Amino acid sequence: MIKAIIWKELLQYRRDGRVMSVLLITLALGFAAAVNGWSTVETLQRERQSAVQSDRDTWDNQGKKNPHTAAHFSRYAFQPTSNLAVFDPGLKDFMGSAIWLEAHYRDPATLRAVEDAVEIQRFARLTPAWILQVFAPLLAILLAFAGIAAERERGTLRQVMSSGVSPQHLFVGKAIAALCIIALLAPSVIAAVALAANTQDEMGLPGAGLRLAGIVLAYAIYIGAFTFAAIGISARVAKSKTALVILVGFWAASVVFIPRLATDVGSTLSPAPEATDFEARLSSESSSPFWGSSEAAQQRRADIETEVLAQYGVDNIADLPINYDGYLLQESEEFANGVFDRMYDELWGAYEDQADIVRLFSLVSPTLALSNISSALAGSDMQAHRHFADSAELFRRDFVRILNEEMIENGGEDGYGYMSDNDFWQQNPDFDYQPPTAGDVLSNVWADILILLAWAFLAYQLASRSVRFSFKQEAMA
Amino acid sequence: MSIQAITAQEKRALKTDPTQLVLLVAFLLACLYAVLQGGAYRQTQVEMTTSFTEAQIERNTAWRDRLVAVETGTTAPEDDRWAGLAMDVSFPATITPGPLSDLSQGVSDVKPAASRVSLWRSVDRLFGNYQIQSPIDTAAGAFDLAFVVIFIMPLMMIALSYDVLSEDRELGRLGLILSQPISVRQLVTTRLKVRFGAVATILLLSLLVSLLPGLGGDDFATRVPFLAVWLLVAGAYFLLWAAVIVWAISLNLKGETTALLLAGLWIVNGLVGPASLSAAAESLYPTPSRLAFLSEAREASAEAYKSQADIMQGMLLDHPDLTAENYSIPEYIRTSFLVTRTVDEAVVPVLQRFDDVQAERRQFLSALQYASPAVLTLQSLNLAAGTDLNRHVAFERSVRNFKQAVAEAVEVKVLAGERLSLADYDGLPRFRHQEPSIGGILGQVGLPVGFLIVVAILLGAIALNNLGRLQNRIRES
Repeated sequence: MIKAIIWKELLQYRRDGRVMSVLLITLALGFAAAVNGWSTVETLQRERQSAVQSDRDTWDNQGKKNPHTAAHFSRYAFQPTSNLAVFDPGLKDFMGSAIWLEAHYRDPATLRAVEDAVEIQRFARLTPAWILQVFAPLLAILLAFAGIAAERERGTLRQVMSSGVSPQHLFVGKAIAALCIIALLAPSVIAAVALAANTQDEMGLPGAGLRLAGIVLAYAIYIGAFTFAAIGISARVAKSKTALVILVGFWAASVVFIPRLATDVGSTLSPAPEATDFEARLSSESSSPFWGSSEAAQQRRADIETEVLAQYGVDNIADLPINYDGYLLQESEEFANGVFDRMYDELWGAYEDQADIVRLFSLVSPTLALSNISSALAGSDMQAHRHFADSAELFRRDFVRILNEEMIENGGEDGYGYMSDNDFWQQNPDFDYQPPTAGDVLSNVWADILILLAWAFLAYQLASRSVRFSFKQEAMA
Repeated sequence: MSIQAITAQEKRALKTDPTQLVLLVAFLLACLYAVLQGGAYRQTQVEMTTSFTEAQIERNTAWRDRLVAVETGTTAPEDDRWAGLAMDVSFPATITPGPLSDLSQGVSDVKPAASRVSLWRSVDRLFGNYQIQSPIDTAAGAFDLAFVVIFIMPLMMIALSYDVLSEDRELGRLGLILSQPISVRQLVTTRLKVRFGAVATILLLSLLVSLLPGLGGDDFATRVPFLAVWLLVAGAYFLLWAAVIVWAISLNLKGETTALLLAGLWIVNGLVGPASLSAAAESLYPTPSRLAFLSEAREASAEAYKSQADIMQGMLLDHPDLTAENYSIPEYIRTSFLVTRTVDEAVVPVLQRFDDVQAERRQFLSALQYASPAVLTLQSLNLAAGTDLNRHVAFERSVRNFKQAVAEAVEVKVLAGERLSLADYDGLPRFRHQEPSIGGILGQVGLPVGFLIVVAILLGAIALNNLGRLQNRIRES
């Protein structure tokens, strides 16, 4: 019986020009998005490799220079792009791609793609993930809004009932038929995956296969939820027109309005620090209490001096077997690192509070939950960026320490006049970024997964009960 | 049933029909939220710019006071060798928040708004670490009144009116209504006038609220002309959608089909159009690589550092008069000046390439914006609000030019190692950003607004003609 319902529905869809038009348009957009995503990622990866090489070459061949002067010039950490960003670039365009690893300061990531983007970019982005998040549910609505209501309006629901079809069979048959049509979007997804596989795996995302499977599963659940909801609403209301208006309204709210509203509310309730103020505070709090002329700063430096003199058993700095300027520089770094940790924790804390508020809104918009899961698994969400930024900061601290130690151990009396050469620069390490595991990522989005599953479950229940309800209503009429 | 009776009935329905009531209240809340939120955003922008400028002025005043002390003999020149150091001059450069940045945030949240122009920084580093906004917030874009106008307003208009004719027809009461002395055209336009009037009233009220003191800013007189232009654009977009809806209704389709048609147009206009245009602009006019730019700047800096002796020699050959024997400030200062100037010379052409690509993209979008009224409206609203890309790119360029102007003005003093005189300092240029005039803005939005109005008139005429023919068909039947 279910098979017959599926065939009947598929036949009906094939004859419906509206369905075929939307399907073809979505498919075309999906292919365009896949090629666009591939081209972007491929360019980003090529540019990054070139920048990494150039950074190394410039560093290695900077000639004679004081290690501390070199620490001010320092190096850059360039964020790699995961292959899965072809499918979902997530927040990548909105977070910087390069972090300057200079001495005395923790810089934020710079070179955000959004700054070079056109004004309309934030309206809509042609990526495979965006196409599926926006248009797949719309297709589901188009396929299912009239599912039960139109049968009732045409009077065919009574005939269906009299032929012995159970509510469950009708629901399952209509759902499978709608999902079969939506599955025709798969070629565009496969194209995105194939193109992603064709890019270099510069990030070496751990558990890439598992992540991809997770992404596919998440989208399947999301599309299923919308399909079930559409059937449920169709069965619950009297007219297919009403079902359509309710469902399109819900879609527009879920996909277009709520994501903006949620982030807006999030940033209002948990505002990130203002940029110029943050920069000024970071600069001043990490420097003045150490290098400043205040009594506390002078005392701090005096204590360090006393400690070092005692450690080496000498009375004067001039008698130290090390370069004291270098030592003081490293001490200032240790002091500043504590300030950086505190202030960046505040900054990330504000971001994460915003993310939590947005997550609350996913209780009314499954698109938000899906978007979080999708970008997290693709390695293009905020947590992925934080992981990179924190790793880069750890490297910066090590790198600056190596340079300071060079001055401490070899600077002698020359201090700031001491020069290292290319032999030393060429021994300095590169930043080797190791992305988080799939398990770490899943632990960040478990709440989103639960919310998405809850949406699918509730939509299923709504559809199942509503179809039964519509049978009862029809029987009583 | 007379026109007055229909008007009265429609007005009553606005207050009593639950669907219409819910839609209008939701629209009102969305408008008010956007206005209040936008007001807070602009207030923050104003405060940031003011506090930044005040801090810089305070710093400059202290710097100037030291110079005054030396010139008046309060401080002996040898006691403050750094007073009046030409290399140390710095000036604030800020862009005033757009007059209506509370209504259309545009790109003002991602572009730098302030810079401390210092000769120690090369032109690629003039803007501090401003990239710390929340990526979640940045990616989603603002829930401002422009967003409400472009996305929510048309959807409200559709939801309130798609069945203005079809419902009566489907319920079989259209004939009865038309047996009264009223035409189909009058019936449709009278109903729509009331329903669209309610939407327009809410929008106008929200705009009035935005003018309240303390909300969008206290510069009421400055804002009003821009608000008039903004309103003109929003009004033209409103008229276009009103005409589109009347046209769709005049096709005399089933209510469900009318809703689908209008929803489809809304999606193509607001989502598919912008996504495709944005992708096309970025593919056809790709931005030069920011990473490659960074590498070039670093390489130029490293090379300049390595060849500083040659640079210095070159300078002395060019300016034999500057080989002052009594050069008393550390050598690294003029070396830094020359190195920074060398880097500036290397990166300015690259930055110009970025500006050129942006200009080409804008030109491309200016030509193609007519394919998507949403794109056209957004760009025009941002233009009126002073938050468009063009204004911000021009600001960045002005800051770079200003830095070079200051560098040229103090070059001789830096290279000669001479102190600036008070007259020299007071005569140095100060940053002024040339803002576009209201006439210029009106000129730029004139064509897009004209286009929207012409299309609205044409569609409206077609719709009224269709309704006239429908009247004849009904009479004949």
